[in-house]
Amino acid sequence: MLGDGARDARRTELYLDGLLSADERRASDVPADTGLDPEVKLAAQRLRSDLGRVHPSFRFEEALSAKLSLGAARLRAGLPVEQTETPARPPAAIAFLRIGPVTAPPVVASAAPQLRNPLLSARPPRPLLVGGVGVASAAISIGAVYVAWRWSHASPTPMGRAARAAHGSRVTHPAGRSRRTAVLQGILGVVS
Amino acid sequence: MSRPVLSKVAVGTRLARLDRDRGLVEAARRDPSQFDALYRKYLAQVYSFAYYELRNHHAAEDATERVFMKALAGLPRFEERGGDFATTQEAAADASTFRVWLFQIARNVVANEHRHHRRRPVAPLEEALGLPAPDDIAEAALAREAGTAAWDAVARLPEDRRRAVILRFVDEMSTAEIAAVLGRSEGAVRVLIHRALRSVADDLRGQLS
Repeated sequence: MLGDGARDARRTELYLDGLLSADERRASDVPADTGLDPEVKLAAQRLRSDLGRVHPSFRFEEALSAKLSLGAARLRAGLPVEQTETPARPPAAIAFLRIGPVTAPPVVASAAPQLRNPLLSARPPRPLLVGGVGVASAAISIGAVYVAWRWSHASPTPMGRAARAAHGSRVTHPAGRSRRTAVLQGILGVVS
Repeated sequence: MSRPVLSKVAVGTRLARLDRDRGLVEAARRDPSQFDALYRKYLAQVYSFAYYELRNHHAAEDATERVFMKALAGLPRFEERGGDFATTQEAAADASTFRVWLFQIARNVVANEHRHHRRRPVAPLEEALGLPAPDDIAEAALAREAGTAAWDAVARLPEDRRRAVILRFVDEMSTAEIAAVLGRSEGAVRVLIHRALRSVADDLRGQLS
């Protein structure tokens, strides 16, 4: 047994069913129960005409479509639809001081390389030349340190000390200069 | 209005309502890239619901995005529990078509948004100035609509009545679908809408006088 309120609500519902399907039938008027409150009927007609459906901008629609496509690709690859934000990691040096050296984590993104951000993954590999220059620089530094150390320390063997003394007392001239001087002296001698 | 397809089911001669979106849903389950068809079909409905609830273009866009991302992520878990959900309250509570399920997500997202805005009320600059964004035609059109007396009357309704009215008039849902979305009985939804219409009628009469 329906109460008055429930009966009125049922009448309203039937009227709304007719009103909302009237557009499909292109009907100009909708039959209503005579017991329906005319003010309710008027309010329903007003809401029907004033509350239109709204469409978002084309730009938003396409942007979200692209995002969903990426999400779908991630889903196919067995990844979550949205990339979860990872908390900021401390710099490597601080992490090293805190917990010592750690092994590199597994590279998850390599499972689905097509889903990585191309801007982030496009970094070129470090060229071999840079590594070579680094090794050469280190070797030169080590050599300079060794020579400085050798000059500042006397040789422990007598032979070494003698060799160093002989080397220090020798008057040296660059080979090219000696030859030039000899040639010039010869020419001057001939002329004079 | 969405009309479900009727089909005989194994239990007796009872007619079950089958989801019209079943084909699209199955395709999207097999290949998630096919979700785009469902997205295009329901974008305006979800966006309208969010806009009329939140009354802010940007908030409605954010909510719409969240709804569809959640739907895509949850699609493997979605179960169609077709059934004759229009006939009984128990069946209504158990009903699940894709549209109902999508709007249940939308209802939760909008409710979260309301809670967020209650905690941190933020008004966009255009709203503060009373002007729509200059490049936003939809916003300008809506601003004109929002100025109507009927829209103001709906905005003044209590939350549950307003939500039922929006689902009924804007998204053209049946009472059974609204009941499933809101988690109420059909009878309760009928009364909600009837009372909402009475309130709007009183409001409009007051404005005229």
